[in-house]
Amino acid sequence: MPNKHVHELNPKRTVITMVLFVVIIVIGLVTLKSPRLTYTLTPRQTLNLVSSNGGSVYPYQLDAVLKGTIDTVILIDIRNKFEYSKGHIDGAENISAYDLTNKENIKRLKELKKEGMAVILYGNNQLEANGPWMVFRQLGFDNVKLLLGGYQYYTLHKNDLAKTKDDKSYILMQPDYNYPEVAKATASPGSDVKKETKKAPVIKRKKKTKATAGGC
Amino acid sequence: MNKNYLFLAILMIILAGGLLILPERTNYTQINPEDLLWDIIQPSRYVTTDQVAKMLIEQDPTLELIDVRCAKEYNKFALPNAINIPLDSILSPNYSDYLGIEDMNAVFYCNDDILADQAWVIAKRMDISRIYIMKGGLNCWIKTIIQPTPPPETASGDEFDQYDFRKGASMYFTGASISAPKSDSKSQVTIKRKKKTTATAGGC
Repeated sequence: MPNKHVHELNPKRTVITMVLFVVIIVIGLVTLKSPRLTYTLTPRQTLNLVSSNGGSVYPYQLDAVLKGTIDTVILIDIRNKFEYSKGHIDGAENISAYDLTNKENIKRLKELKKEGMAVILYGNNQLEANGPWMVFRQLGFDNVKLLLGGYQYYTLHKNDLAKTKDDKSYILMQPDYNYPEVAKATASPGSDVKKETKKAPVIKRKKKTKATAGGC
Repeated sequence: MNKNYLFLAILMIILAGGLLILPERTNYTQINPEDLLWDIIQPSRYVTTDQVAKMLIEQDPTLELIDVRCAKEYNKFALPNAINIPLDSILSPNYSDYLGIEDMNAVFYCNDDILADQAWVIAKRMDISRIYIMKGGLNCWIKTIIQPTPPPETASGDEFDQYDFRKGASMYFTGASISAPKSDSKSQVTIKRKKKTTATAGGC
């Protein structure tokens, strides 16, 4: 028959094509790059998380941890070794921010998550640990928390952490000044001078025009 | 022959099912988490209030100030020429044109650092380059630029230079006419000039 397909003339061809096809697909799947770490939160979810202020640990909550009444918490100091050796929160481990995504540390964090342990990250201040905390939250480590106030606030209130419940000085995002007022207040003496000096030439300029008008 | 076709069709369907296990694709680019953390650790992502003040005074065309506070706070007070992109709408398509403009240095700021940092981390994850944070935010801006405090007498010359710059910047940002001696000498000059012209006018 003239309109017979080529592979029907040679049945082996069909098999060869099929085998090749499958081999290519398998190679593709094997070499598919699977990144070591993947985001589990979308940017939108991350935004919602940080806006809702979730995952923050207040300094007064640390009191129970340090006294041992809560033992499902691990503190991680993300500052460098030198700063850690100068002083750190009792019982805190030191994993510098540079090493946080190391293989062993990721493995360790995964185990901690499985065991239901909470991990509190802290740096010198809230800002220092904020980025690393956000990264781990985006990677799906929802047991990772962020210590507000950081180490600086802790050292100030080491002995009366429980009493800091009503202290809000470590809460950031608040304006320290009434900005428009401050900007105006410093400007007002200047602007007064401006007005006076401006007025003087204006008056004289008017005289000038009158004089020339009269002269002509 | 028919069997072959049938087999092939079944194989195709099975392979098509394999598509389901492929990783989900996102419609935006993002950087590796490791790279993100690395970028977060770099201190070069911060700019100081002095640097921002200098760029504003020099009218640096590559500076794009982005105020990530809410619109209410922005309307009360904002830095000159700052754009308001509240943190919760940073992903909104309305503002996407403002981010990642070629050759522009976007500087995020808020009252302190935290909101700006959160905005920065999310923007960085979306692989937006040339973004910075104004360290200390507006609180630091007022403290250092608007109300600079003189350095101790033992301070280095650089610190005094910095203080001089800040004093000048404070004048620039709060009305440009704070220095009393300068404006006095200026007014004297203008007064003299005016006397002269009235005299010539009388001569005509």
